[in-house]
Amino acid sequence: MSHVPMVEILNVSKRFGKAPTFGDRLARRFGGYRPQKTVHAIDGVDLGIAKGQILGLVGESGCGKSTLGRIVAGIIPPTEGVVRWHGDNANRPSQVEVRRAKPGIQMIFQDPMSSLNPRMRVAEIVGEAPLVHGLVPRRDINAYVDEQLVRAGLDPAYKKRYPHQFSGGQRQRISIARALAVQPEFLVCDESVAALDVSIQAQVINLFMKLRDELNLTYLFISHDLGVVEHLSDRVAIMYLGRIVEEAPTEEIFAMANHPYTQSLLAAVPRIENRKSSFAVVKGEIPSPFSPPTGCHFHPRCPHAFARCRSERPAIRQIAASHFSACHLNDGSA
Amino acid sequence: MTIEVRDLSTHFRLSAGTIKAVDGVSLSVRRGQILGLVGESGSGKTVTGFSIMRLVESPGFIAGGNILFQGTDLARISEEEMRRLRGNRIAMIFQDPMMTLNPVLRIDTQMVETIRAHEKTSREEALRRARDALGMVGIPSPEERLKAYPHQFSGGMRQRVAIAIAFLHKPDLIIADEPTTALDVTIQGQILAEVQKLTSKFGTSLIWISHDLSVVAALADEIAVMYAGRLVEQGKVGEVLDHPLHPYTKGLIDSVPNRNRRGAALNQIKGMTPSLADLPEGCSFRTRCPREAEICKQVPLTREWLHDHTARCHRPYHPTEDFT
Repeated sequence: MSHVPMVEILNVSKRFGKAPTFGDRLARRFGGYRPQKTVHAIDGVDLGIAKGQILGLVGESGCGKSTLGRIVAGIIPPTEGVVRWHGDNANRPSQVEVRRAKPGIQMIFQDPMSSLNPRMRVAEIVGEAPLVHGLVPRRDINAYVDEQLVRAGLDPAYKKRYPHQFSGGQRQRISIARALAVQPEFLVCDESVAALDVSIQAQVINLFMKLRDELNLTYLFISHDLGVVEHLSDRVAIMYLGRIVEEAPTEEIFAMANHPYTQSLLAAVPRIENRKSSFAVVKGEIPSPFSPPTGCHFHPRCPHAFARCRSERPAIRQIAASHFSACHLNDGSA
Repeated sequence: MTIEVRDLSTHFRLSAGTIKAVDGVSLSVRRGQILGLVGESGSGKTVTGFSIMRLVESPGFIAGGNILFQGTDLARISEEEMRRLRGNRIAMIFQDPMMTLNPVLRIDTQMVETIRAHEKTSREEALRRARDALGMVGIPSPEERLKAYPHQFSGGMRQRVAIAIAFLHKPDLIIADEPTTALDVTIQGQILAEVQKLTSKFGTSLIWISHDLSVVAALADEIAVMYAGRLVEQGKVGEVLDHPLHPYTKGLIDSVPNRNRRGAALNQIKGMTPSLADLPEGCSFRTRCPREAEICKQVPLTREWLHDHTARCHRPYHPTEDFT
């Protein structure tokens, strides 16, 4: 990317661990060994998203994609590394800056029922944040809320209702209206269409694409559904156990996936064109993030693994113009 | 024919009125065949499966129709007779394997119980069969895993255990209700491969309930599409997916992202799934349908428009005769 990306994360790691209990400390004091259980949810990730771009972040459950989304959205701080927002360090901003900067990023979650307050009416849900941030004076808030609802494809006549009075697809539209009400530049969508039926999912995806064109939004679109990501994204990053293993423009990653994990993921996706097919099977299970494999995290399941994969972590390297992959196999041919 | 369902209706009597969750569904599965039963949430696909298993509980009840399983009408037999079939000749796999598994019992206890409920065998013999069953669905070191509790398995492994239990008595029919929906793609691929292998090995008939057309495309021989309690289209997988007759089926296929040009707006079905308590009169898809006409205010009947390919529609796509 020639210009400064809108959001940039550099060598970000996130570890979750329990603080040692009194018993643990006592045991350690007397020489007993009690290893601390830490999950490396994110392990040294670099990523950049340019203005107006949609980056699809794909991975299976437990790979850390939601944690990464939350770090980018500023909901949780990284353990190590920096998140840059328009080139500025957004890691330790002052409280004032937080209040000013936050509306720039909004997050849309998978389950609107648990992210919408069940005891608030739609008008309050959508209108609260723009009032608090002083974006709209109180006398204009009614018209403003109507405008947000219409843009998200909802009838403003419903704004006196509560979230439980809507269907799943409509509820997701309420979350979208709420997010857009603070005029963000950047949306983090965490599995935002995963819980919806196919016909409703298509409507919401279309809404996301329409909003991107109208408002020049930038998205981090987190999903396990490769079909959705392929359709929507400009670039795709594939995550496996806390690390990004491959990143490339969408066409390229689907046409010539480089990393063996990406290849097996693509092969496992059922497609409507494939009839009565036998399923390409990746052997083994996703290892526990408590004790990830040494070296390349994918090596126990990889059909091409060799000795070096077991001992050395492959660095993510450029293998073609704007195509990055973390695999030792690329060194052989280089 | 392993199972033949004729004009099945399952209703729920609620204070707001009677809900027709399943409204005149007819379908059949031949020995060793896989039927994909597709629909969105609330379409009645799960209730259809539960009705065949006779697991519908009050306020729901089977209001009419026949469920012919090898000549016996499951809708008419006593609960006692049904118990003898359930888990033995007909088995069910649920979306959440914890619906099958008891969290406080070890796997071996549960599997031995299942075997001995229907067969007089020694405990040793039952244990041996349980171990073989676990090995068959690809669980490593089955001997040790038998002694584990359900929470000690991962989600994918738990679903394998549930599948192993379903296959214990080599049933003639298995009803699988979205068994891979909660799993990751690579694990889903593994499970689908196992299921394909086992059904062809034992000649088991399978009704695979799913909302995912792509999974059904790869797995099933026939497909039946449900909308608002009614079967709207049925036929061979290739027939239905390549030449859909019903506008709802076509809408579903067209809204799958990878059928659309990348970045272009997806073809969407307008409106939302109607509430079963408040369906439009006549064809219940009418209000969302791009081909709606005056005649659609009358209830359409199921008709075989093409060879072995039926649809419940007045104005289907793909006409072979002049009925536009």
